[in-house]
Amino acid sequence: MDIDGDAEEASRRIRVRFVTKLKPPYKAPPTSIAIPTNLTRFGLSALVNNLLKAGNADWKIEAFDFLIDGELVRMSLEEFLLAKGISAEKILEIEYIKAVAPRKKEDPSLHDDWVSAVDGSNPRFILTGCYDGFGRIWKTAGVCTHLLEGHTGAITSVCILDPLGSDGRRVVATASKDMTLRLFEVNIEEFQGQLKKIQSFQTLRGHNASVQCIAAEPSGAKICSGSWDCRINVWQANDSDSGGDFMSVKKRKVDIEDEEPKSEGEPISTLVGHTQCVSSVVWPEHETLYSASWDHSIRRWDVETGKDSMNMYCGKVINCLDVGGESSSLIAAGGSDPILRIWDPRKPGTLAPTFQFSSHTSWISGCKWHDNSWYHLVSASYDGKVMLWDLRTAWPLAVIDSHEDKVLCADWWKSNCVISGGADSKLCISSEISVM
Amino acid sequence: MAESDSSEDEVAAHNTVGNVPFEWYKDEEHIGYDIAGKKIKKKVREDKLDSFLASADNSENWRKIYDEYNDEIVELTKEETRMIRRVLKGMAPHPEFDPYPTAVDWVTIDKAEHPFPDAPEPKRRFVPSKWESKMIVRLVRGIRKGLIKVDDKPKEENRVYLLWGDDRNLTERHHIPPPKPKLPGHEESYNPSLEYIPTAEEVKKYELMYEEDRPKFIPKRFTSMRSVPAYDKAVRESFDRCLDLYLCPRTQKKRINIDPESLKPKLPSRKDLKPYPTTCYLEYKGHKGPVVSISTDSTGQWIASGSNDGTVRVWEVESGRCFRVWELGEAVQHVAWNPSPELPVLAVSVGQDVFLLNTGLGNDEENRRVDDLLHVESHMAHNEPGASEAIISETIVKWSRDDNHGAIRLNHYKTVSSVEWHRKGDYFSTLMPYGESKAVLVHQLSKGLTQRIPFKLHGLPVSTAFHPTRSIFFISTKKNVRIYDLLKQRLIKKLETGVREVSSIAIHPGGDNVIVGSKDGKLCWFDMDLSSQPYRVLNCHPKDITRVAFHRSYPLFASSSDDCTAYVFHGMVYSDLNQNPLIVPLEILRGHASVNGRGVLDCKFHPRQPWLFTAGADSVIKLYCH
Repeated sequence: MDIDGDAEEASRRIRVRFVTKLKPPYKAPPTSIAIPTNLTRFGLSALVNNLLKAGNADWKIEAFDFLIDGELVRMSLEEFLLAKGISAEKILEIEYIKAVAPRKKEDPSLHDDWVSAVDGSNPRFILTGCYDGFGRIWKTAGVCTHLLEGHTGAITSVCILDPLGSDGRRVVATASKDMTLRLFEVNIEEFQGQLKKIQSFQTLRGHNASVQCIAAEPSGAKICSGSWDCRINVWQANDSDSGGDFMSVKKRKVDIEDEEPKSEGEPISTLVGHTQCVSSVVWPEHETLYSASWDHSIRRWDVETGKDSMNMYCGKVINCLDVGGESSSLIAAGGSDPILRIWDPRKPGTLAPTFQFSSHTSWISGCKWHDNSWYHLVSASYDGKVMLWDLRTAWPLAVIDSHEDKVLCADWWKSNCVISGGADSKLCISSEISVM
Repeated sequence: MAESDSSEDEVAAHNTVGNVPFEWYKDEEHIGYDIAGKKIKKKVREDKLDSFLASADNSENWRKIYDEYNDEIVELTKEETRMIRRVLKGMAPHPEFDPYPTAVDWVTIDKAEHPFPDAPEPKRRFVPSKWESKMIVRLVRGIRKGLIKVDDKPKEENRVYLLWGDDRNLTERHHIPPPKPKLPGHEESYNPSLEYIPTAEEVKKYELMYEEDRPKFIPKRFTSMRSVPAYDKAVRESFDRCLDLYLCPRTQKKRINIDPESLKPKLPSRKDLKPYPTTCYLEYKGHKGPVVSISTDSTGQWIASGSNDGTVRVWEVESGRCFRVWELGEAVQHVAWNPSPELPVLAVSVGQDVFLLNTGLGNDEENRRVDDLLHVESHMAHNEPGASEAIISETIVKWSRDDNHGAIRLNHYKTVSSVEWHRKGDYFSTLMPYGESKAVLVHQLSKGLTQRIPFKLHGLPVSTAFHPTRSIFFISTKKNVRIYDLLKQRLIKKLETGVREVSSIAIHPGGDNVIVGSKDGKLCWFDMDLSSQPYRVLNCHPKDITRVAFHRSYPLFASSSDDCTAYVFHGMVYSDLNQNPLIVPLEILRGHASVNGRGVLDCKFHPRQPWLFTAGADSVIKLYCH
């Protein structure tokens, strides 16, 4: 009796019920149990695993994360309840989800130079841009299928047009410091085990300085690019089939090496307003695109009229921008300080960020929302770390430490991998991240 | 009696009864109350018989009259009886009163010189005077103008004055108290106990001592008070006291009671002055020797650096990547990016040469133009030595084409320490710190010409600068900064720094303020409109200042020093000329390591962001961001 009393003294108990939205093998019995309040996330995870094991003999241990009132538990239960002011008298409902963390690290894919851009929007391949001026297509980690040639300067940004199209032929666009954009057509299925070099079928000229960023319209019909000449150009992305489109004003003299005639494009419109380098553009909807600039502003543009419908001043140089999250309307941006900020532009009257994540120690070079989740995003920083974030907690879910130098870009791939490229010339893939 | 005939004044009323009818007390024993509330008894009156007998006895008795009010008998004097008699006769009581004096007719028409007029009062008696009002207006004007002072009260003369007028500050002189005497103890008694009396040996010992060490008082015994002699030191002691008073300092120093905090200037908080560089996030690594000089291009995308290892590098600011390297073989002294965005040319001084390098960062058209410019240049210098300036340029500087780097090479006759561009990017000046008239040269890129500056230099030039907006040229020697007008070709101003040795100068983008860094760690801010003396001297660095810099758009300036730090200041210049510039120290940026006693060798602001680049002797360039 005495011993029991002491134990009772040492750790108070609380009645909880574990609930989940996960599918049956992960469902724990919905009975309430009393657990000590000094349990942390690890203890809770072990508890849930035990519960599941009791119902299912051949259960493999799984890491879980726990939500109380829509917030992830990152301390002991007692501290959490105290901090949030939640009563310990009632039965506490704890929702558990699979822990979001990379479980596997693929071998790094080596490049010849710094990897400046990466795009993983197509689940069948990864597109990377490199400082040596070549774009590369990777089927999986370490398997490079295509080499995109043509640029004379370092590639700064890449994107895949209409990434989720059904056929194997995809158009990709690259932006470079040689002031041009190039469009390439890639056939994914034609890989025969050796590297295939591809020439661009169209060169887009019109910027007066290094092109810094590129984004494609969701349908893939247009692309926009931001540059050091402070302008955003919108281009018609010609399909290679309709090579004789009205936009290809002049056809260059056909070179002997070129298999097909190269066409040149000119911008169909230019959005002027930024006063410094446009460092990032995203085009989430048909008519609106967002841009971020070194002049400390984030703007939303109406593509049709060419006017900016929103101008958000945020005080720091912004390097990366993404729009996503809840109903695809939260703006995440990182820049010349270690803080990843998230704004909700629907909130009227305030320019204060709704979330601020500050675990990085240097400039943030990339940030990307998860395609399907409202809560998850990935950020890359010059401190060499890639971090996974959940809006429901202020701590990073996971820190991916696979780069030895600055990380220059990061993206999601196949909804469960994080790909990142850095100044150590590596493309790192961290896979088996169970978001949702 | 003579002075007044009023009987009431003569005798004060003894009674305190008050003015009440006597019938009230007719049947009472008393006639009223005194001031203490006690009854005043009636005096027992003599009855009529007694009074009759008394009058029979005393012939003078008729004089006595009973005063009913005071309840006493009053004896009339002779004068009083006489007065009564006169009154009875119907005459005036006093004999000296003349009831019929001679009438003097003061107001008669016959006798008066100015008889009373009978005319009605004139109108002017009722109308305000015009002349008086004019006078008042004059006075009012005088008061308003301050000519007439109304407030001045007549000075009050001191009713008492100092008799010894010379001791004017007598009141200020405070009392100097004599030293407190020791209270006498038992040994000072005329007949102390035996234990206080020193023995004969002790007395002898005392005598052998120095006077200062000797005890002041040696107890002695006297059998009686009578035998106590006079105090032998009385005169001596009063003399000493007088001497003390005489030698005592006459002036009293008042201790100033000021809170040292209140003496500090009121500066705005650093938080309000954001943004300014605070933290180092990026490093540009690659040089193998101390980075001597850095320069940013006009957009802020690139930064160039020159190092002692003989290389010039161009870096991408945002990623820290080295974009391009030129091997020049000799230690680089100075790099300067052309301020014109269309002309991406880098001027580099290496030993006796100045290279104009094509960075190749512009678009194709610009690159072609720069190539043309840099190419045609050499031909011009060789082929057209006709002009007079060209002759000068042939003798001092040789323009030639350097094919290794695709550059122009200007061969000087001495080591070139710095290169500065004019804001339009066509002219640039080179500086050779040797005390000759050809120490500062101005070159024109588009024509390939070199000119001497037409001014006499006083002392060794250290640093030069072009005015950011006007055709004004600054040359700093070790002690002074001279400012020349290039159009009028004359000296405008000379700034006296008052420091040991100037190391660098920087001009505020407004053009009216100059900062000068010196080798004794002092930073002088000159407001050229204010004076030729420094407006403020900031003594911040313990070691040499290597470079000072202004930000192009933010109100910031910085200084870098060999003590491995860079200081960032807020330097606000107001367009209102009455307001002095506001200088607030903001941040000390550390991070560089000391190599061979050298620390930070150069600092430059990013042209558009509140960021600072610092180049260190540890061969690293650091970027400090806000």
